Amino acid sequence: MDERLERYAELAVRVGANVQPGQEVFLLANVEHRDLARALTRQAYRAGAAYVHVLYNDMHVRRALIELGPDEALTYAPEWRKTFNESMTGNAMIGTTGDPEPELLADLDGERVGRAVPRELVEIRMRQMSEDSVNWVGVGAPNEGWARQVFGEPDVERLWEKVAFCMRLDEPDPVAAWQDHLARLEARCEGLNELGADALQYRGPGTDLTVGLLRNVRWMSGSTDTRDGIRYVANMPTEEVFTSPDARRTEGTIRSTMPLPLQGQIVRGLELTFEQGRAVRVEAETGADLIRSHFATIENADRLGEVALVTKESRVGRSGTIFYDVLFDENATCHIAYGMGLPFLVDGEPDDGLNVANMHVDFMVGGPELEVDALLADGTVVPLVRNEEWQLA
Amino acid sequence: VKAEERLERYAELAVRVGANVQQGQEVFVIPEIEHADLARALVRQAYLAGASYVHVFYRDEHVRKAMIELGPDSALAYTPAWEKELTEAMSDNALLATTGNADPELLADLDGDRVGRAIPLERAEIRQRQHLEQSVNWCAVGAPNAGWATQVFGEPDVERLWEKVAFCMRLDEADPVSAWREHLDRLRVRGDALTGLRPDALRYRGPDTDLTVGLLPSARWGSAGFRTSGGIDYVANMPTEEIFTTPDCRRAEGKIRSSLPLVLDGQMIRGLQLTLEEGRIVGVDAEQGADLIRGQLGTVENADRLGELALVTSESRVGQSETLFFDTLFDENATCHIAYGAGLPYAFDGEPDEGCNDAKLHVDFMVGGPELEVDALLADGSAVPLIRDENWQLQ
Repeated sequence: MDERLERYAELAVRVGANVQPGQEVFLLANVEHRDLARALTRQAYRAGAAYVHVLYNDMHVRRALIELGPDEALTYAPEWRKTFNESMTGNAMIGTTGDPEPELLADLDGERVGRAVPRELVEIRMRQMSEDSVNWVGVGAPNEGWARQVFGEPDVERLWEKVAFCMRLDEPDPVAAWQDHLARLEARCEGLNELGADALQYRGPGTDLTVGLLRNVRWMSGSTDTRDGIRYVANMPTEEVFTSPDARRTEGTIRSTMPLPLQGQIVRGLELTFEQGRAVRVEAETGADLIRSHFATIENADRLGEVALVTKESRVGRSGTIFYDVLFDENATCHIAYGMGLPFLVDGEPDDGLNVANMHVDFMVGGPELEVDALLADGTVVPLVRNEEWQLA
Repeated sequence: VKAEERLERYAELAVRVGANVQQGQEVFVIPEIEHADLARALVRQAYLAGASYVHVFYRDEHVRKAMIELGPDSALAYTPAWEKELTEAMSDNALLATTGNADPELLADLDGDRVGRAIPLERAEIRQRQHLEQSVNWCAVGAPNAGWATQVFGEPDVERLWEKVAFCMRLDEADPVSAWREHLDRLRVRGDALTGLRPDALRYRGPDTDLTVGLLPSARWGSAGFRTSGGIDYVANMPTEEIFTTPDCRRAEGKIRSSLPLVLDGQMIRGLQLTLEEGRIVGVDAEQGADLIRGQLGTVENADRLGELALVTSESRVGQSETLFFDTLFDENATCHIAYGAGLPYAFDGEPDEGCNDAKLHVDFMVGGPELEVDALLADGSAVPLIRDENWQLQ
């Protein structure tokens, strides 16, 4: 038995989803992720799962649906599939990422690809998210196709080594290492929440941006509690503290520091300029048109939905790897998202300043030269990030 | 023929001739995870045949192994609500299942009692009911994979297995669909002729074989061509080469020798010889594996009575392939076979006769070969030759 695989799965089960004895566990994996899915199943039973439901997703089946199926099939959510999703409530869920064939749907009719969303299934998951009724985790499942995208060759072992490093599997006691790590992020969150900053200011090469913050929107990091009080870590790895900003108060220019894979294209050197909360100018070395079309066609896509701070302790950043997978890449360095704000960060009634949009796109802005400050209501400036190190005590 | 084209033609045959997917039907594809290549082709062909939606539910024996090995007792026979709904939804729709065990020894080191109990009972009951109601047009086909090829050839030569499977499926014919229709017609004609003859018994003679098995007047000789209650013709097994019936389990006398090795519960049975008196197996001998058979006959009620007689002749593509597939879907179509254990309730028009055996297992073993002679014995005492030199005799 592959010891690394089992340890990885154990971490996802015990720290990530934090499967409780007697819970049922729902495992959603791509066909190409079967080695990890099997290890997750074993570890879930070891953690006391009453039953492990495994549903393999197959992108080739999806391709056939979009290419050859009738129109009604595109958005169809079968009853059994709805029941599957509904049954997750009060139970644990584990999802895997790592696209084995990112270009698989590239030659299909884009309009049909876009419509092929079983809306009723998404709605069930959205409700469970807002109720916080499922303890869940997403983890990466290295596979040949993903490795080829990262390294240009199907070197799965090399990808495994990178992923294991990001997951702190090299630590003698990864579970304890994760608990320390999560506690550190948690402390940063508490510091920021106590600070109650009115805005963030970003300064660096090509960057001078001020983003307003909202009083009743919290900063959050990796761990969350379900409504039943089960603490889980929804994303592994996770290196960020994040919040949703006031979508009405963004001014200035920000430059992206890492290439951004988006809908089969790569956006490089993105530069966005904001006035009164809205992006008014989009420049990029490649891919500017894709971003412009988002802003032109999707309502409120041109406003910000998330700001996230990551420092150089980040295992993803230190790995020096672009993973072409948002679960990993958004944890490499500081990032900002345009589009949808995160409603679960709001205490009490939703604020008008929280952006509402049908998309959410993260792009990386961090790097050694980026300075991030908190601006307080009284005009005080508090340094948060310098030289990729955390400044707030 | 390129491998990809062969795969699509194979899947098309399973969809159009096997399950006979109808325009607007939903299709359920239930493969093992190692069968993904074929599963994907089945999905494509099902949509091309007009399926309104194709549901795919991959099974994974490693997940099952983890459950048996590490899960609680209550998990073993559990059928989740969603899986009951998935199974119920097959009624009036089409099902495509795949065989070809990728890892036959996977469960060998587990506690046999737990393996035996690991049957999702409610799911099995739904499928049983659908069988009796004939509410699903379905087909099972083989899905070549490395593990299966290793079992057949001692090496993971998947291409060689594909060639054998394609041959058994008549994919070498210019028009496989019409070749299948002719083939199915021939089997249907044979079955009807034998049913019309109304024999009182069959007699098998050959090396170490002289067995007479009583037949039931209300049991038909059928072939794998079925019709749903909604009138959809389908072929439940592909390949299929047999006509079969359920005998009178109270009337079997004599002895019979198995002519091919039999794989059972991970063991190989060779040279099996059974002696029967008054319908019951009273003697079991074998060059290898006799204890396993004796164990079954000793512990499972009525396992020592016969449940099926099947006649296969030298036209059989499986027989001609001269391959032992270690997969019942194929091997039972190689040559004439007999099963001990459960009879086939669907071999009757209406309610099964009380001579139809009731048992919790059904094990096919091969008895055919060039030297086997099969006769129909009529009520007036006359004998009508059915098979000589593996050729069909009845006109």
